[in-house]
Amino acid sequence: MTAPIALRNVGLTLGGKRILDGIDLEIARGSFTCVVGPSGCGKTTLLRLVAGLVLPTEGEVQIGGTRVVAPRRDVAVVFQDYGRALLPWRTAAGNVSLALEAMGVAPRARPARIRDLLGRVGLAEHADKFPAQMSGGMQQRLQIARCLAQQPEVLLMDEPFGALDAMTRQGLQDEVLALVGDSGATVFFVTHDLEEAAYLGDVVIGLLPHPGRIARQVAVKLPRPRDQLATRELPEFLRLRRELFDFMRTAEA
Amino acid sequence: MRGRGAVWQLGSLLVCVALILAWQAVAQARLVSPVFLPPPTRVWAALVRGVESGVIVQKLAGTVLRMIEGWALASVLGVALGALIGTSRAARQWLGPTLEFLRPLPSSAIIPVAIALFGLSNGMVLGVIGFGALWPMLLATVHGFAAVEPRLYEVGRALGLSRWAVIRKVALPSAMPDILAGARLGLTVALVLAGVGEMLAGRDGLGQWILLAARAFRAPDLYAGVVLFGLLGYASALVIGLVERRALRWRQG
Amino acid sequence: MSGLHALPRALAVPALLLIAAEAAMRLGGGTTSDALAPPSAVARALAIGLGDGSLLAASLATLAAAIGGLMLGGALGLLLGLLFGTVPALARLFSITVEAIRPVPAVALIPLALILFGFGYRLEISIVAFAAIWPMLVFTQSAVAGVEPRLIEVARALRLPLGARLWKIVIPFALPRIFVAFRLAAGVALIVAVTVEIAVNPLGLGYGMTMAQQTLRPAEMLAYLVWIGVVGWVLNVALLAVQRRAFGRFM
Repeated sequence: MTAPIALRNVGLTLGGKRILDGIDLEIARGSFTCVVGPSGCGKTTLLRLVAGLVLPTEGEVQIGGTRVVAPRRDVAVVFQDYGRALLPWRTAAGNVSLALEAMGVAPRARPARIRDLLGRVGLAEHADKFPAQMSGGMQQRLQIARCLAQQPEVLLMDEPFGALDAMTRQGLQDEVLALVGDSGATVFFVTHDLEEAAYLGDVVIGLLPHPGRIARQVAVKLPRPRDQLATRELPEFLRLRRELFDFMRTAEA
Repeated sequence: MRGRGAVWQLGSLLVCVALILAWQAVAQARLVSPVFLPPPTRVWAALVRGVESGVIVQKLAGTVLRMIEGWALASVLGVALGALIGTSRAARQWLGPTLEFLRPLPSSAIIPVAIALFGLSNGMVLGVIGFGALWPMLLATVHGFAAVEPRLYEVGRALGLSRWAVIRKVALPSAMPDILAGARLGLTVALVLAGVGEMLAGRDGLGQWILLAARAFRAPDLYAGVVLFGLLGYASALVIGLVERRALRWRQG
Repeated sequence: MSGLHALPRALAVPALLLIAAEAAMRLGGGTTSDALAPPSAVARALAIGLGDGSLLAASLATLAAAIGGLMLGGALGLLLGLLFGTVPALARLFSITVEAIRPVPAVALIPLALILFGFGYRLEISIVAFAAIWPMLVFTQSAVAGVEPRLIEVARALRLPLGARLWKIVIPFALPRIFVAFRLAAGVALIVAVTVEIAVNPLGLGYGMTMAQQTLRPAEMLAYLVWIGVVGWVLNVALLAVQRRAFGRFM
């Protein structure tokens, strides 16, 4: 039940190339942490380290006090390329079922759970559709439903809305906030969209490239629940946005 | 649109009937010797006679059984071996080039070797069919397993699926289009080799039947046999097509 | 892609199998078998066959029949494919007829061709031609029917006459896929030619192999098998190289 994520002096060298260096990080339980940084700064690699999909060459990653040596079922990953991360031969219900099968949920208990999960992401009507018959936004909702089926303590999201149009993205941002608010999961959210990071997060972490390292950690003091119009008009939001933009400008210079 | 499609179907059928009538006219006018071109009516009569006496049914059954037996053997072996090779990078590197070298080898060239080993027996024909149909199945399966989306393997890891579950739930369905394409080709090869094998080994079947009919200048029987060969090819393509449509429903967006 | 250092791995398995076969034949005393021969004997037979010209003569006979059939059937398939591809109405009217004839395996026509032509090249060429029609027809038709509609509109806007439209737009657009069809048809032609020779026709590589088997010379029979494999492989590699050179930029 111990959720916090901790990285202690984590470094990664792949093929002689230094990807990440000296990452020290503590993430509080139930918090929403966003990671931003210029392309090539290792944001996605950092997320894959936390997921256990890649193992660090130095230091260690801990989740709930235990060292991460392989992917864990209580850590769910939402990939950016939903089109490749869903099983195209399974319906929406079948894709959610995959996670339940992995969790060892009895076949009789699955349909009710699937219905509930699809309902929570607004796909109740589309249980029998194949991914190819769904829009990008629906496919990403489906992937989120599959991750929720794991009842994760930690939810890792890798630029989940990067490929979606602006309207769909805002809708999904609010849905994700509501869903994780209900489940109490700790969220680690990688994005290249600074406003998205400020809007969603409790903390925003800025990475610098070559090698990837933590350069800034900003606490977001915006009231919850957040609102697409009101929050984005708050002076604190504008100040935060400015701070992050300045950081990115110097990072890319 | 449906009505117009039916009109085209009818037109297409009329063209086919017209061509058969033209054949009848040419044959009846004896523009070509009936030794080479019997009229369709006599071919039909030969077919009916063969079916009523049961002779042709027995030959057909012989060919069908032989073809399916050899093909089924090849399919099981081809999919199992192909899955082993396709899921292992090392196996692909060690065995791939050998397989590619053998790919264009005419499988009928194995017939003399098989005769030398097994004589003119039913086992020889079965062995040749199995060997010939193995290649398309094996190569297609290797390709299918090698081409599985890597992201899906990561999803499997993130969900903590066992190796067996990953093969059964992720790799096998993903490779299914290739496997079915291999099965289709394998069935065609099996029919060809069944026919040739029966001609050479004199085993009870359509191949032997048409060769004997030709030697005795019984043209109607010969044509009846060729028609049955065509029907057999058509039926096997139809069955695979139905299986494909059912199993690959998810591909139609 | 993986270049030269992949070669040792590629050759390891066949080399190991050959050594194992050699050892098994020698230890088992099977060197006098009617069906099998040790790889060393096969290699010797291959060298002799290549030296006295018998393998090359047989290869030429097989290739002549295969190429003859390929040209005949390929041309027919190409013409029909162009016709059906540019005039969809014709394709629909003949669809049932084509679907009725296409599934007939070419080898089922061997007895008929035998009474029509007797043994020899005409028998083999006719069977190969029948087999070569279908890949050409099917691929050409779909390639031509799949020509980018925008290009057709361009041709119409330029008021190109039908001949120029075909020659300047449709055929160049479809050419890469037509060549793929040709490559497939060439593979089919070789397979069918060898098959006809093994089944009935007394000429070429297939017949040479059958004769070696019937006169109980297994080393020679296996040498023929290896050589047939080499011919098929070279044909495939050569056509692939041509395809890459000629159309690599489009595909």
